[in-house]
Amino acid sequence: MLKAAINAELLKDSIAALAVIVDEVRFKISQEGISVKAVDPANVAMGIFELRAEAFDEYNADECEIGIDLNKISDLLGLADKTDTVKMELDENSQKLLIDVGGLSYTLSLLDPSTIRAEPRVPQLELPVKVVLNGLDLRRAVKASEKISDHMLMGVSDDTFYMEAKGDTDKVRLEMGRDQLIDLKSGDACSLFSLDYLSEIVKPANKANEVTLSLGRDFPILIDFEIANGAGKVSYLLAPRIESD
Amino acid sequence: MKEELCIKCKGKGLCGRPRCPILENFKSVKSSFPIISGNSIFGASPPAVFVGSYGYPKVSAGPLIPPFVKSKEAAFLEEPSGWGNLIIEDIISMRSSLVRANTTFNVKEAPGKENPLLLKAQELALSKTPVDTEAWFFKAPKQELKFDSVLTPMGPAGLVKNFEIAENPKVPKKVDYLVYDTDALAKDAALELYRSEVAPEQISRLFSIGLLGKKRKLVPTRWSITAVDDMAGKAIADKILDYPPVSEISLFSGTHFGNHFEILLLPRSYAFELIETWLPKTVWSGDSSWIGEDREGPDGKKQYSSLAGGYYAARLPVLEYLAGIKRQASVFILREITPEYWAPLGVWVVREGVRKALQNPPETFPSIEVAVSKLAGRVRTPKTEWVQKARMLSDFRFQTTLDAFF
Repeated sequence: MLKAAINAELLKDSIAALAVIVDEVRFKISQEGISVKAVDPANVAMGIFELRAEAFDEYNADECEIGIDLNKISDLLGLADKTDTVKMELDENSQKLLIDVGGLSYTLSLLDPSTIRAEPRVPQLELPVKVVLNGLDLRRAVKASEKISDHMLMGVSDDTFYMEAKGDTDKVRLEMGRDQLIDLKSGDACSLFSLDYLSEIVKPANKANEVTLSLGRDFPILIDFEIANGAGKVSYLLAPRIESD
Repeated sequence: MKEELCIKCKGKGLCGRPRCPILENFKSVKSSFPIISGNSIFGASPPAVFVGSYGYPKVSAGPLIPPFVKSKEAAFLEEPSGWGNLIIEDIISMRSSLVRANTTFNVKEAPGKENPLLLKAQELALSKTPVDTEAWFFKAPKQELKFDSVLTPMGPAGLVKNFEIAENPKVPKKVDYLVYDTDALAKDAALELYRSEVAPEQISRLFSIGLLGKKRKLVPTRWSITAVDDMAGKAIADKILDYPPVSEISLFSGTHFGNHFEILLLPRSYAFELIETWLPKTVWSGDSSWIGEDREGPDGKKQYSSLAGGYYAARLPVLEYLAGIKRQASVFILREITPEYWAPLGVWVVREGVRKALQNPPETFPSIEVAVSKLAGRVRTPKTEWVQKARMLSDFRFQTTLDAFF
């Protein structure tokens, strides 16, 4: 059972954050809220998403699992105003989600969850370094790197966090000291990441005032930020490129 | 003219000339043209129809009829899968016997109720087996050939006064059913035919003569061939994403009419990358060589490939192979076009070439480095010239996956 109402922009952003990783997801619904874990088809990036009941204007649910085509739902939310309220109700018998927004009533057919890739296991990683920065700064560094290369290096040396991209002839580097960062736990970290993935991941992170990066040496990066004033959280885990030669 | 433009365009007309000068040269290739006495011909159409793209949306279209050829021999003229042991000259002379009996149509005439010539061309296209056909021309067809990068060569063309089908076409049940279904989208109808093992040549024939879909139109043959390769490929790619990856790195190799293929299957999720290296003195390359690359990830391709019809023609047979062994893989293909490929024969060369290479026993390798050096040793273009374009090879070597961190 699910009966809920939520701000349209918040739902739109949540869907966009998931669409970075996959097109179809299993939503795990419980009394506490909604959660998703999904991994991209190439096993390189994972998204972990939760939106607690407090994020909703109205929330009533029992434990269940539904399969959703993210493209369809983001298409229909495209017509909604930022301030609209989206009302959702699950019809379990017919496996349809009834959505009311801006005076329009949609009946959205759900996907059979068993046809969607199962929730992945999340690797337990020891990531020694933590960098907290503004989402805009991260996005800016990624955009600059895209112009030069397909990959971006992220690391910490002493008390400076750096992001760097090297092309065949050109190079771009953004350094941020302790005073420019919101927080820094320094240590040994330097890993290379594919911009194909990073560019997509930083888009939803752009709106967040605080984005936490957890890093290691040649290790995956964990990118965390809060949504819905702290009533929800998005995390991405991205595997590194290891170029030994 | 810039040679680089020619290789990207392959006769589409990007240079602004009304006719492609490279293709015009081939028109006069010496060949055994059929003897046409008077203004009429009689022969068994394989069956084949042709819809031109020149002048779109007013195009010339009609059946292909080989004069004096009997039913028994005619089917072979439209069966690229059987041409493996021929040489380029054989194919040109065989195909030059196909006379195009053209009429000018507007592509929107496809529903075809009024135009009896179009109705007859459609009737002929429905058949699975050759159809005896007689055609009367205003003037005897001109003795020249038609070449194209996507199309198989064809013989003389003439404006037709009338033509008649001299026997009843044999229509497969599935074809009959889908041609009368005006609610199914062309895409869905084509896929259903493909799944029922109707030959791709027949599907693109039905599609191009305007017999499939909701809003029917004539579709130029060169577009319809690639459309069928693409639709079938996409459908298989969706399916194989549910299969486990291949278990080892394997390499297939083969040559077809001067086109050399190296096909590398990597144990990762589905992705496809094609590199084409055109050596100097091939059809489109002039005096310099040219290297092009295009690729797609598990989500497939959104825009038309920069490598044009050859991309989709190379992708389809590998996907068929993977569907057959119920596995997915990251597929890397290097296609080297040598000067031995001196006349454009059409994209079937790529489709059949990849298909044939996949029938050879593969070699397996413990590491991608060894596999790539083996592959590079068999092509004439130095590795340094193409390897930096091969994104998939570097991704496979360097991009880790999350499974590695448990």
